[in-house]
Amino acid sequence: MVTQFAPPQEQSRRHLLDVAGYDWSSLQKLLASAAEMQRLLDSRAGGSNALRGVGVTTLFYEPSTRTRISFEAAAAALGARVTTFNVATSSVGKGESLIDTVRTLEALRTQVIVLRHERAGAPWLAARHFGGSIVNAGDGWHAHPTQALLDLSVLSRHLGHSGGSLAGRRIAIVGDLLHSRVVRSNLHTLTTAGATVVLTGPASLTKGFAEHASSFRDTPGSVQLVGSIDEALSEADAVMALRIQRERLTPGERDSLEAYRASWGLTESRLAALAPRALVLHPGPMNEGVEIDPDVADGPRSLVLEQVRAGIPMRMAVLQQVVSEARA
Amino acid sequence: MTDLLTKNFAEHWVLDPVAGLAGVADVSVVAGQIVSVTWRDGEGAARACWAAGANPGPSDPTVALLPALIDLHAHFRQPGANASEDVESGTRAAARGGYGTVALMPNTEPAADNAETLRAAIAGERHGVQLLPIAAATVGRAGTQVSDVAALVKAGAVAISDDGSPIADRAIFRAALLAAAAAGIPLIEHCEEPVLTVGGEAADGLVASRLGLRPWPATGELRAVESAIAVLRDVVASAPTVRLHLTHLSTAAALAAVRSAQGEGLPLTCDVTPHHIALTDAWIAGDRRWAWEVATADEFLTPTANAFDSNLRVCPPLRAAFDAAACREALRDGTALAIGTDHAPHSREKKEVEFGLATNGIAGIETCLSVALAAHRAEELSLATIVAALTTGPARLLGVAATGVTPGALASLVQINLAATWRPSRATLLGRSINTPLLERELPGVVQMTVLKGNSAYQK
Repeated sequence: MVTQFAPPQEQSRRHLLDVAGYDWSSLQKLLASAAEMQRLLDSRAGGSNALRGVGVTTLFYEPSTRTRISFEAAAAALGARVTTFNVATSSVGKGESLIDTVRTLEALRTQVIVLRHERAGAPWLAARHFGGSIVNAGDGWHAHPTQALLDLSVLSRHLGHSGGSLAGRRIAIVGDLLHSRVVRSNLHTLTTAGATVVLTGPASLTKGFAEHASSFRDTPGSVQLVGSIDEALSEADAVMALRIQRERLTPGERDSLEAYRASWGLTESRLAALAPRALVLHPGPMNEGVEIDPDVADGPRSLVLEQVRAGIPMRMAVLQQVVSEARA
Repeated sequence: MTDLLTKNFAEHWVLDPVAGLAGVADVSVVAGQIVSVTWRDGEGAARACWAAGANPGPSDPTVALLPALIDLHAHFRQPGANASEDVESGTRAAARGGYGTVALMPNTEPAADNAETLRAAIAGERHGVQLLPIAAATVGRAGTQVSDVAALVKAGAVAISDDGSPIADRAIFRAALLAAAAAGIPLIEHCEEPVLTVGGEAADGLVASRLGLRPWPATGELRAVESAIAVLRDVVASAPTVRLHLTHLSTAAALAAVRSAQGEGLPLTCDVTPHHIALTDAWIAGDRRWAWEVATADEFLTPTANAFDSNLRVCPPLRAAFDAAACREALRDGTALAIGTDHAPHSREKKEVEFGLATNGIAGIETCLSVALAAHRAEELSLATIVAALTTGPARLLGVAATGVTPGALASLVQINLAATWRPSRATLLGRSINTPLLERELPGVVQMTVLKGNSAYQK
């Protein structure tokens, strides 16, 4: 039995810290809102002034390209004042704490902080000390809620039943689960949407995930961990390759990237044999020729660029949600 | 200080772990001295009551009187980190928590590996609390050269330890164990296999996996315990005075290994902390149930607004309900002779940061008795077990005489209202640092008065 401290509907939506605790109707609401935002982006105006006067600051303690730019484009499309906080040239280098930093930003009239941090839970600490809204743009190995939401929007568009449900769909996720905030958040959204998620990867990088997988018992979908990529790909409707995080590997592991590709890489021949119709996703940035081959990443089944494009409307929907909850 | 107490403690629930007596009694203190103890139902009944667990019945008095407590493991941060705690604030907090004697770990800055630092670590206003310094087992706690144990004992050391770190080199560990034995004191070991635990943020398990925290495996404790026991077994024949104490054990597997070694007759003891008996790793996700309130298949995984509280970052880490239950079982069956607070005050700069960047430690000397009493209320621990683990047990390790509730003795007593509750907060806590995950939580057991050597050391 999974016990909730507070029922999900009672949790504040002023922040987006995690997608854990979001039920299907909350996810559907964000999917619908993101679709609305896409129409807005496609319109002649190309945006709105819904967040006019709202200060949005991207505070990234880890490098990022697509997530940061995507959030900044989303905030700008809603008419917000967007500030990029440069951690490298700021007082953070002089030892300013996260708490002091968010308090300073609050004094400088930031209402929304989009936070990327290398430590799990940093957004929770920030949220306890910030009067506005915190949006988690990735915390350590823990969570990457907007990535999971945009992945869900892409998968629902291609594989969803009416209303976007993924009931009965098999989604394989392959690679470094241990260090991946993307997989941790995707497990929540995909199982809540009804999908069967099949996980696989090298034993050293899937440590703890047998128990982790079996803990998704009370969700509409389910999770299983299997021992080989062949088993994971079999009958998969979609497959997501996770980035091998070179900076987190030991020197010995870094030497065996070719072996990794042979055992766990998404190659054209493997896909053709096992899952010829499966859609291909990758949260980026990709190590082409390691976890995914270039011809797969750029091939007809690839949704990789669609994922990137889906980031802006979904992040607009998230920013809109947290600001309207903060105002309420 | 000449403020000797005269007071008649009438109709109290009196617990005397030294004599093994418990029950309703009148205790009369005149000019700091216990002049009489009158057991309402006689001493025979009091002896039987202690043997049965010393738990008061529904019609018994709710205000208890027991000997001042002894902590075998605390950090008062002097010298080096007085902004977090010092002798004055630490002893004030200790008296408020019901303690009259506190053994201080040597991981100060510099480390207490010499007589001068050892004395500096206990210097200052002590509010009547007796401080027992534990000396560093190795020079600079660096683990490479055993300290001059004989000189440290002469300077007052009651034990040696490199607490905060293990003595990883087995040859040095063996030499330290023999040096302690020669000096007639125990070696207290912090059991952790660094190769397995480096970077660990939370106990290896489902909570850590769901929260993306770096795992600190249970084997990181077990391997160190097994290895320490192997060395002890090896030296015991040639060093009959050897004594090894393993501090803050946290896992069922390690406690089972200790129980088994004790069964062999090895001179081995251990303690557990209040947080490891009462909290679980699910607290990091925001769960706030006591460990004994968690059913086996019950999981708490969706982080709440309280999640990732850095006050829960501690070494060894909080673990599953199963391990917490094993810590309580170890107290009940005597495998663990004490509850040691591991009182680890840290300044806000070190704790009010990201969970994985926070310094390990919980300030616990003011809440330990209440946490133990919460376990008592849940019928997890008897009062006799708790009081022994906070008085006679640690006294045995530290080689000091435990005080009882003994006519003719100077009064060192704690008066506590078992029925009342309180909430730890910046306003109610007296220590300099309030890094505890129990802030604002309602806790049972309000210390009303601590009397040390006849003087009032704390009065609510």
